[in-house]
Amino acid sequence: MEIEGYPKTQTLKDGTRVTIRPLGPRDEVALKEFFLALPEEDRLFLREDVTRPEVVEGFIRSLGDDTVFPLVADHEGRIVGDATLHRTRHGWSTHVGQIRVVVARDFQHRGLGTALARCLVRHAIGIGLDKLVAEVVDNQNAAKRAFEKLGFVKEAVLKGHVRDIHGVKRDLVLLANDCSHIWETMESLVSDFSPTLGG
Amino acid sequence: MAKTEIRIGGLGGQGVILSGIIIGKAAAIYDGKHSTLIQAFGPEARGSACSAQVTVSDAPIGYPYVKNPDILVVMSRDAFVQFAPTLKDNGLLLYEEELVEPSGLPAGVRAYGVPATRFAEELGRRLVLNIVMVGFFAGVTGLLSYSAMEKAVLASVPRGTEDLNLRAFKRGYEHGQALVARA
Repeated sequence: MEIEGYPKTQTLKDGTRVTIRPLGPRDEVALKEFFLALPEEDRLFLREDVTRPEVVEGFIRSLGDDTVFPLVADHEGRIVGDATLHRTRHGWSTHVGQIRVVVARDFQHRGLGTALARCLVRHAIGIGLDKLVAEVVDNQNAAKRAFEKLGFVKEAVLKGHVRDIHGVKRDLVLLANDCSHIWETMESLVSDFSPTLGG
Repeated sequence: MAKTEIRIGGLGGQGVILSGIIIGKAAAIYDGKHSTLIQAFGPEARGSACSAQVTVSDAPIGYPYVKNPDILVVMSRDAFVQFAPTLKDNGLLLYEEELVEPSGLPAGVRAYGVPATRFAEELGRRLVLNIVMVGFFAGVTGLLSYSAMEKAVLASVPRGTEDLNLRAFKRGYEHGQALVARA
């Protein structure tokens, strides 16, 4: 998948450089390895059982589907982060995108999650979405902070909605970023209205 | 370069004036030329006739009004009907091909169409149809450098919308270049 602006090099907080690029058909093996290496604790919060090979094969097969924009972070040939922007083409939420980011344990707390999320936010605005949402568990403080840095705010809390690895029920926090104001500015720019002339 | 007179016409809300501003900015700020802009509105802010007159020249411009344009850019049928007769012989018409069907053009006029609204919708926002049109203008006319036009687009659109606007510009530009190469 060729997307303008990618691949791009991202320097992390500790100076490590990773390449952020769209997921490609050749990434199947590396992506399987990435998901298999995730601790169970991290995998528990993913929507699908990514340890099953057919799930990852499904991700690869769906490349080119314009409802999913998948990015990976590549460090020396190893996938160390996976981020996707999901949208629907039908129904009442075609203006909303959902962002999901997963980072390898040894690359967490180094700014990679924020960098991946930033790329997705930029892409989402670029394709005209009005609102972005992301789900985090109440104790995922680093993830919450990363999204907040990108303009997300807490919009809803689903009490006891997820169960962690120890069976403890936790709240699921829905973070949202309303980027419609950006387009409102553009709309006023193209309104061809002048308060002093003819309006 | 001789003085080039341009008129852009369309409906209020299509970004007619912003298109004129971008072309003028590209000429005067980023391409080292002189440029003037006159904007005119219909009786209502939206949905009515709206036009911009842009002059681009290497020399200072003494008279900014455009009566008979060298280049006419139209984004609505009404604008075509109103302004096409004023186009100079051997002038250039650029039109939104799904909204305008050119006919009865002055002698020697070259006409190129672009489905700017459809392109803009495919890119994600109908709002950027004027930027597609600006790109198309750049691609067909070659009047101003690609880099100057691109910088002017970037300097004129709201922060955060640059990516989509640049893609819109490029889409229009490439379509224009392809048509010219085929002609």
